[in-house]
Amino acid sequence: MNLRLELTRFLNVCFILSSTFMVWKGLSVVTDSHSPIVVVISGSMEPAFQRGDVLFLWNRNELNKVGDIVVYEQNSKSIPIVHRVLREHHSQSSSNSKQLLLTKGDNNAGNDISLYADRNIYLDKQNDIVGTVKGYLPKVGYITIWISENQYAKYGLMGLIALSSLFSTE
Amino acid sequence: MYSLSQRFQNVTNQALTYSFLIIGFVIATSWFHLQQNNVFQTPVAINTLNSNINVRSSRFFGSTTGKPKENAKITFDLDADFTPFFNWNTKQIFAYLVAEYNGDEKNTKNTVTFWDKIIADKENAVLSIKSEKSKYAVWDLEDKFAGRELTFKLQWNIQPWIGPLVFGETVGNCTFTLPVEQKEKASSNTNNDEATAEKPQKKNRKARKARKAKATNKDSTENKN
Repeated sequence: MNLRLELTRFLNVCFILSSTFMVWKGLSVVTDSHSPIVVVISGSMEPAFQRGDVLFLWNRNELNKVGDIVVYEQNSKSIPIVHRVLREHHSQSSSNSKQLLLTKGDNNAGNDISLYADRNIYLDKQNDIVGTVKGYLPKVGYITIWISENQYAKYGLMGLIALSSLFSTE
Repeated sequence: MYSLSQRFQNVTNQALTYSFLIIGFVIATSWFHLQQNNVFQTPVAINTLNSNINVRSSRFFGSTTGKPKENAKITFDLDADFTPFFNWNTKQIFAYLVAEYNGDEKNTKNTVTFWDKIIADKENAVLSIKSEKSKYAVWDLEDKFAGRELTFKLQWNIQPWIGPLVFGETVGNCTFTLPVEQKEKASSNTNNDEATAEKPQKKNRKARKARKAKATNKDSTENKN
């Protein structure tokens, strides 16, 4: 057993993990969104977005337009929701640039007022919006849903990684 | 020297490279197709025929303070052809009728959706709508909505099978001023009871129809081509 070889291998694993983390955080900084890539979980935007579809977000816009598809998250409800902007109200004076948004899922009958926290009837663009959907990739994210919702998949994946690290000899 | 993991890595690398190339090709050709068909200059004819204001005091109709809010619905005609929008990367088109207006308090700018439609295939892409009622009852930030001058526009969003979402606006709009009702007095004295607030409105239906004819209802459908 070569200590130097083992250490190099460990360092390699660390390098891969940290570079993945850096890419993710770098994307966060560029898009100004704490989660720039999201996976659709609910079917409220069907048939446009289905479960497992991947969405790419952008949050450097100051105002949202009506028709934009946004991802929002309110502090008391931690599940991010992907819905379309139905109405927007904002002040024209630059000193008070607060924008109010009302959203609705394309597949839902009514607007989202019943989903909003603290009996609000509008979302606040500044605080609640995670990002605006710019790009779309179908189905690829289903693997994350599968892993997070199926415990056997989780353990199976862990076991596979452990096995491969045991048997890998270079 | 081939090992199983190395081969696996090679295969996935190659698969990823080719799928990126294919995705790029699909996005580029569909974008070219949209430009070729001049979809950003699609004409539309919108005509707002009538409006109808109800006073509601529920939170789900915009009333947070318990004060009644004016909820407006409109009746409209609309003609637009979305057939050229469909190519091999179009999953569906979301067309929505918005109204833009300025609020007088705090100098606000507002955009609200009155109606929308998912167009799923080419066969149903020609919209020819006659005296349709708007899907949504719309309220303003302020209690009153009547008297506002609304500019109606039809906007669209192409949702692709893969790639970027494309947004745009059809050429042509229509301005319409929500007529001020005489029942305003009933709504302004903080009457929380909906039934009493709605009664005088029914009485005024005839008067409103007469006023409707006078309301500014110009239809300016110009084609910028």
